[in-house]
Amino acid sequence: MSDLAVEVKNMTKVFSRGLKKSDYVVAVDNLSFDIKPGEVYGLIGPNGSGKSTTMKVVLGLMSPTKGDVKVFGYDSGDIRARNEIGFLPENPYFYKHLTGKETLKFYGKLCGFRGRELQDRIAELLELVDLESAANRRLGGYSKGMLQRIGLAQALIQRPRLVILDEPTAGVDPLGSRQIRDLILKLKDDGITVFLCSHLLEQVQEVCDRVGIIFEGRMRREGPLEELIQIEEQTAMTFSGAKPELLAKVRELIEADSGATIVEEGHPKTTLERLFVSLSHASNTDDKGDEK
Amino acid sequence: MNQTPPSVFEPATKTVSPFSLRRVMVIASSSVTQLVRMKTFYFLLAFAAIIVVLMSLNPPTTPAGVLSTIKRISFGTMDVFAWLFAIVSTALLIPKDIEDRTLYTILSKPVRRIEYLIGKLLGVLWVIAISLLVMYAVCALALWSRETLYIAEELEAMNADARYSAENVGAQIALIEQQGLRPELGIAVLGSFLKAAVVASVTIFLSTFASSSLFSIIISVLVFIIGHAHTMATSFWLYQTDNSLFVQLLLKVVKIFIPNFQLYSFSHGIIQGEAVAYSLVWQMTGLTGVYLVVFLFLSLLVFIDKEF
Repeated sequence: MSDLAVEVKNMTKVFSRGLKKSDYVVAVDNLSFDIKPGEVYGLIGPNGSGKSTTMKVVLGLMSPTKGDVKVFGYDSGDIRARNEIGFLPENPYFYKHLTGKETLKFYGKLCGFRGRELQDRIAELLELVDLESAANRRLGGYSKGMLQRIGLAQALIQRPRLVILDEPTAGVDPLGSRQIRDLILKLKDDGITVFLCSHLLEQVQEVCDRVGIIFEGRMRREGPLEELIQIEEQTAMTFSGAKPELLAKVRELIEADSGATIVEEGHPKTTLERLFVSLSHASNTDDKGDEK
Repeated sequence: MNQTPPSVFEPATKTVSPFSLRRVMVIASSSVTQLVRMKTFYFLLAFAAIIVVLMSLNPPTTPAGVLSTIKRISFGTMDVFAWLFAIVSTALLIPKDIEDRTLYTILSKPVRRIEYLIGKLLGVLWVIAISLLVMYAVCALALWSRETLYIAEELEAMNADARYSAENVGAQIALIEQQGLRPELGIAVLGSFLKAAVVASVTIFLSTFASSSLFSIIISVLVFIIGHAHTMATSFWLYQTDNSLFVQLLLKVVKIFIPNFQLYSFSHGIIQGEAVAYSLVWQMTGLTGVYLVVFLFLSLLVFIDKEF
């Protein structure tokens, strides 16, 4: 049995565009990467770079033209591989005529759950994604954020060892996005492997251990996030409570060194997302205080 | 000692069976829910309205004639409902799943493609079976009430008239009963169901490679119509040798690839009051099974490597 969660080896995927043999497009070209159990791996790249194709091959929805793709040692087309995978699609691809509870029941039954075990699993997942109050509403009436959350619950229904998330926060407001990010971190804490495809680089940076950058079907850079993003020849220092005199001394010391220069100086900034979330929390606390 | 409850995320260690009838039934029951919530059962209201109208008519004919008319129209409606519903619902279900990409989330679970196809087909057949049973029950009630009324009226009228002997009365009653509610009518309903099952399997095969529901519906209707010309095609094939190559080829295609829907017309005789051999019913059920297996196999050949 393989000790890797996902193993993509020299994978190539070619799509024919017509009847002629010469009329084809190479969506993924000799791609190789692997994901270790318990790791959060981010695959990033522009539209049409081959992210979705790679993800579909891992899910067994497509077969590779060349190369091998394995999930926990099983070939990606093997039904046993799919039993290990929970998939959250970019858009909520669910039956709109079903309620949230019925949706989880449907997918749970497909995964072999039934009876009390299924009921308990549905209840704990609805609680996890905070959709207990909307459990009996049809998905047709759900907002985008609610659909993503029920999608995440659906992905987790069979207690998968690998969760594949395709643009999990696309179209979701910052609070919902934050909730999903926290859930990804919870998955990581519980040892679940996460394979994340996203355009939102900041989100990838926040949660991923390792990142692959794919462009025109080829892996351009791949490795641990910290290694990829650090600028080797620069060093950042953040002071707290430093007086102007101390800062002036530091500047003098650096200017005295012939090889060093100050590239940037100023106050560290928060992100718009963090500001938005903190303001929302503050507003909620004020409202509760007013009610009291 | 207290045990720590398992985390919400704790991985399961479940085994997956290579083929699961349970998964098939989950998909089938989900398709039934989908069709029911698409308000397909509204057709039953239309059928009930047809029966009410038929019951309110009093055509200037014999009681046996009235019963025969009620049977022909109601069973004809049931038959049309069954095959038309089989085509339309089957043609809608799979392309809709592909179009809405619901298929992504279903096939990313431990579900085999054959389980999905069989599940969808069973879902459609389930709804058709329920609908036919309800329609048959309504029709049987209508027939029984009319038959009982006519027999009572005939008995009263003929017994009051000294010209009629006991034999005359018995013959008249037998004539009414022949056109009334008989157990064989259930076989006619089964005939409609079997025909619908074959049409649904043809449509499911077309849906696996069709680019739209409309295409599947049109081609399925064409196959259904051509399937009624099977005997003609066979006799041409056997006895005509001077046809062009195109005609010969066309006849062979009809003979080999298109199901013979004419065989299911045995139910017409039953509706007209004729007897039916039970061996024929078994043969037709067996033949339907063969058609289902063949078309599901062809569907799987296309669907198994289909990329989404």
